[in-house]
Amino acid sequence: MSHSKLASIFNKDEKRVDWHDKALWFVRHKRDLSVHNVQGWEELRNLGHGIKAHMLSNLDNYLIQFEENAKKNGVEVHWAANAEEHNKIVLQILKDNNAKKIVKSKSMLTEECHLNPALEADGIEVIDTDLGERIVQLAKETPSHIVLPAIHKNRHEVDELFQEHLGTKPCDGDPQYLTGEARKHLRTKFIQADAALTGVNFAVAETGGFVVCTNEGNADMGAHLAPVHIACMGVEKIIPKQEHLGLFLRLLARSATGQPITTYSSHFKKPRKGAKMHIVIVDNGRSEQLSRPDFRASLHCIRCGACMNTCPIYRRSGGHSYDATIPGPIGSILSPGKDLKKHSTLPFASTLCGSCSDVCPVKIDIHTQLYKWRQIITKETPQPFVKKQAMKAMGSIFAHPNRFETVGKIARWSLRNLPQAMINSKPNAWGKARDLPLGPEKSFDQWFKDRENEKKS
Amino acid sequence: MGSRNQILNRIKANKPELLDLPNINTSLFDEGLDLLKEFTKKVEVVGGNVVTLNSNDEIIQQIENTFTDAKVKFSNLPNTASFNTIELATLQNPHDLEDLDILILESNLGVAENGSVWVSDSEIPVRVLPFITKHLILVISAKDIVPYMHQAYEKLTNKDAGFGVFIAGPSKTADIEQSLVIGAHGALSLTVFLKD
Repeated sequence: MSHSKLASIFNKDEKRVDWHDKALWFVRHKRDLSVHNVQGWEELRNLGHGIKAHMLSNLDNYLIQFEENAKKNGVEVHWAANAEEHNKIVLQILKDNNAKKIVKSKSMLTEECHLNPALEADGIEVIDTDLGERIVQLAKETPSHIVLPAIHKNRHEVDELFQEHLGTKPCDGDPQYLTGEARKHLRTKFIQADAALTGVNFAVAETGGFVVCTNEGNADMGAHLAPVHIACMGVEKIIPKQEHLGLFLRLLARSATGQPITTYSSHFKKPRKGAKMHIVIVDNGRSEQLSRPDFRASLHCIRCGACMNTCPIYRRSGGHSYDATIPGPIGSILSPGKDLKKHSTLPFASTLCGSCSDVCPVKIDIHTQLYKWRQIITKETPQPFVKKQAMKAMGSIFAHPNRFETVGKIARWSLRNLPQAMINSKPNAWGKARDLPLGPEKSFDQWFKDRENEKKS
Repeated sequence: MGSRNQILNRIKANKPELLDLPNINTSLFDEGLDLLKEFTKKVEVVGGNVVTLNSNDEIIQQIENTFTDAKVKFSNLPNTASFNTIELATLQNPHDLEDLDILILESNLGVAENGSVWVSDSEIPVRVLPFITKHLILVISAKDIVPYMHQAYEKLTNKDAGFGVFIAGPSKTADIEQSLVIGAHGALSLTVFLKD
């Protein structure tokens, strides 16, 4: 289904849309307060962009260096060309270790690979341990945001969900009580787990180590208790040197939630005594995106979610309307590279206001890429008849100043004189959810000329 | 090995021409922070408390007075054997730490800009300790506080820790309607003792 259709379903509940919009803007505002306090923030962003661009231009060698060092550290390294192979590798590691119960820390990559259903089909119990992820897991949904997976749910829905699945008492949605109950529930899971799976925020070529950032401590509770730790990473998570972490850790949490740093920034290098550590390096379309000069910068993304929080469309359409693992502006430039047909409406889910690019900590030109995808999609996928004809008509109007003037005159007159029912009628998409303004007497052109004449006189 | 070479070859074929690695000029970020003041402020911002005390005895005393109900306790401060109720050397299984109430760890790296404190394998004999404990107490000397993350990594360069973590505040979550709740899976409280 197209983004606009899915968004219109979300838009049926106006109160929820308002609340969703405000909740995300609150996070965007916290981000602003936090970054404005950092001396040299723009330079940090430039450097983040530069280091990522350099990394992509030497990615094969950095991956080889990373693998070599990780092996030296006693970590086993696996390579997966696609989602299917990734799931197969993880399943094999679990089988080799006779692991039946696993605890997962948030990883958008495993969401992308649909790991959970793949493991569950083999009788493995998979528990997502990030609170937001656990909430959507219990609700049998997918995350609607990459940092705030359950941002689309209110506390009363969480209350009901926990009553049903965890046997909690009705509490009018008290977050403190609900979090406490989730803590108890998940502790038992951590203690019993046969294996822990985490994502990777940054992998360091120079050391073969990797960093995982959480606020809850769930990645660590899993990885340090279970006898096996599997870390899954996309190829683009590599950074050249450990010192570069200093830069990226300064950028990440501030951009994500406005925190100066996440509560835990855990640096894993060697397995602990008696335990095993595996790393699965995944391509799944990334090397193909690397081949597209206009879009390769999308691989700079450090998954902070700032572009979603600021996007006026995302805030009012909800993450699920994007029907993709990574929603919002960044998802809309990543997804068409994977399946142009399925995701052909996503680059149009934007006002091209550029706010996403303004907040991106690694300066990805998101809105420019959205615009570029539109050109490709319009050429390569069938467009609706009405849209095609309308575009042709608009093209002809804009190409002929006389026609433009005449149409403008008619439009201004209509907006002043026609009855509301006619203006807000069905064919006028602009009048769908709002009243249109009264048409001005003069065109902009006329107004500007008059103003210049007045100045002269 | 099939996928490994396939992935690497594809990347090699698809990557752009080599771009230079930018140099980081850390002086651009320097705003002459008052390190102790900034560190204290940031620890509080991230939900922890800062207490200035100079002797380990005083620290232990204050902890005993604050957490009167605590039963299972461990500290890596020198000469605090009488405080410890568990012998880590005899703990074969990290799962047995489930009831740990108090953990005191001495660290030698803190970061002013975000109030984080570094602990690694050399300070923690069992990795899960600072996460599984109910209350975490970190002890750090003023001289070990650096202004920004850049300086922190300068200090970490030659350390060969198998595991290390920057900890900033107690564990927390805001996954239920954006309400901040302190105490998710990790420590429920964090106190940092600052020594001169």
